[in-house]
Amino acid sequence: MTALVLGLMVAVSDDVGVAHRRVTTADGAAVALYRYRVEGLRSPAPPLLLVPELGFSRALFDFEHRGLARWLAAQGREVYVAELRGQGKADPALSLEHFATDVDAVLKHIDAAQVDLVVQGWAGALLMSSIAEARVRRVVAMNVLFEPEVPNQLAERFLMNGARFSSLASSPEGAHVFEQLFGLRAEMPVSTFHALLATGTRDLSRPVAAELLAWMRHGDRPIHDSSVKRRLIAWRRPTLLMLGLADGFAPPELCAGWRDHNPNVSIRTFTRLEAGDDFSRASMLLGTRAPSFVFPEVLEFLR
Amino acid sequence: MRSLVLLCFVGCANLQVVPVPEAAEQHRPKTADGWELSLVRYRPVGPSTGIPVLLCHGITANERNMDLDADHSMARWLASKGREAWTMSVRGTGASDRVDPTHGRALPILFDHFWQHDLPTAIAHVRQVSGAEQLDYAGHSMGGLIAYAYLSHGGTGLHAVATLGTPVRLGWGTGVERLLTSIGPIVGRDEVLVPSEALAQLSAPFQTLGDDSLMERLLYQPGSTSKETWQRLVRYGTADTAGGVIRQLLVMLGSASFRAELASVRTPVLVIAGKLDRLALTPAVKDGFHALGGPRQFRLITAANGAHGEYGHMDLVIGEHAAEDVFPHVLGFFDSPGEGEGPALRSGAVFPP
Repeated sequence: MTALVLGLMVAVSDDVGVAHRRVTTADGAAVALYRYRVEGLRSPAPPLLLVPELGFSRALFDFEHRGLARWLAAQGREVYVAELRGQGKADPALSLEHFATDVDAVLKHIDAAQVDLVVQGWAGALLMSSIAEARVRRVVAMNVLFEPEVPNQLAERFLMNGARFSSLASSPEGAHVFEQLFGLRAEMPVSTFHALLATGTRDLSRPVAAELLAWMRHGDRPIHDSSVKRRLIAWRRPTLLMLGLADGFAPPELCAGWRDHNPNVSIRTFTRLEAGDDFSRASMLLGTRAPSFVFPEVLEFLR
Repeated sequence: MRSLVLLCFVGCANLQVVPVPEAAEQHRPKTADGWELSLVRYRPVGPSTGIPVLLCHGITANERNMDLDADHSMARWLASKGREAWTMSVRGTGASDRVDPTHGRALPILFDHFWQHDLPTAIAHVRQVSGAEQLDYAGHSMGGLIAYAYLSHGGTGLHAVATLGTPVRLGWGTGVERLLTSIGPIVGRDEVLVPSEALAQLSAPFQTLGDDSLMERLLYQPGSTSKETWQRLVRYGTADTAGGVIRQLLVMLGSASFRAELASVRTPVLVIAGKLDRLALTPAVKDGFHALGGPRQFRLITAANGAHGEYGHMDLVIGEHAAEDVFPHVLGFFDSPGEGEGPALRSGAVFPP
């Protein structure tokens, strides 16, 4: 039965059309936007905007023709995956300050009254504190940071070394670091995992790595006349905070406190006990268990 | 049949109870409400390096969690470092008095009994025997909750406390919680005594069979605790579970008032969490750290912080490398309690240039 369902899913996914747009921001930079849609299938719900974690590309949502973007499109949703500066095919980022400008440009291009968001980790916290809330209907926030700290010694060393994913891909030791931070005990084919590291990541620039580390060490980050934390506290849209126990870069203990400060945030935690995977960054989206446990709950919340 | 015989033969060694060391002293102080508690004293090896340490187990467990055998023993490890160590079994578990209505020891057993009677009795006895004014205390899982409750109600006599895998709240949206919610009203009744000790012992011969069992998924990481060690714990480290305790814990962890009371704690506390603890989730453990009002530290045991592997719930006390990855943090905190930084990477930890 499972095989039949998976087979149908793959068959439907093959019908998903993907369009790539280069979007220019107000300050002249280029970001990448991908639209996933199945002709003839159209949900009345708003478009979905998916934004990957810092250092990752749209591969987290669409890798080797699998992933959340195609899965949601196959359910009739119009799905956009954005690569903001420093991610995937977008222009380089020399600061995290560009997030607000980049998101504005993306929303302008999508041209819908509202969107639903699926965001992750540090990028998710930045995006939610930068975006015009009126343009958002509902959010699925995957391990989005609320109480930043240096998550562990390995993450700190990784950032101090400039967050160079490319250096991790070149050695077994590097692959082990990647696994510890982004794919701990991930239920996914090893080949997929290594291919994700090799082709789905992009080095952070030194200034961005330093900014991220400073954010971790200070526990918050100023944004205009406010801060990331204050804006997350003030967030009013219904938000499902999905927590993967195995995330080593945005661990759940640094995220969960959000719901104590914001009644619009509810929590769903996954563990191997019930879901067969503790869901690291990689496996929450690309793991073999994700289509059975994570994707349906994303769709249900954003219905 | 042949397989069963082979199973019994192979598993035989792990199914025998490893006795506590001959030098360990058995003590049986009595609580004010008439329950004898089992306390075991491990004298320091060599000159004393500090005050005694009292060790307490979690729910459905007994004192042997803190001294399973020579290679898996926080008690013996502390003694080897010059600390007098004491293990205790709360009422109804291990070698402590069991439920026996004919001798005035009837159900219910409640969580409140543990911190209102058992812990104060153990502390008073250790202080009297050792002559120490204060003790250090390490509690695993519910053993940490007992200390939290004791301290937040003004309990005295503890110099510093370490809690290991101690969750302070529910509400994480996990399947375990859904299960607890559904079976809680059935087993969480004062007149119920779940025969978990007998069930565990019956299951012990089969604990080394297969991979990815329910127990493995919930309670330990096979990379950190061998199946043989786990089997030994199941054989003689478990206890019956009182419905009254389950009921009170569900209420306590389901409300905010317990966490609010922790703000009054002024005793230094080290809060330890295992990265892949699926029973005491890291955020549920860290909420205890956030709620405490005095000096505190949080330590996450994970390979990303230099540990040998990932830690689940029971690995924190019986893991093959707990003596290197966990216990030194506990002792280091007892020696100088206060705020501090995380552990350094183990020497030799590889990081690409």
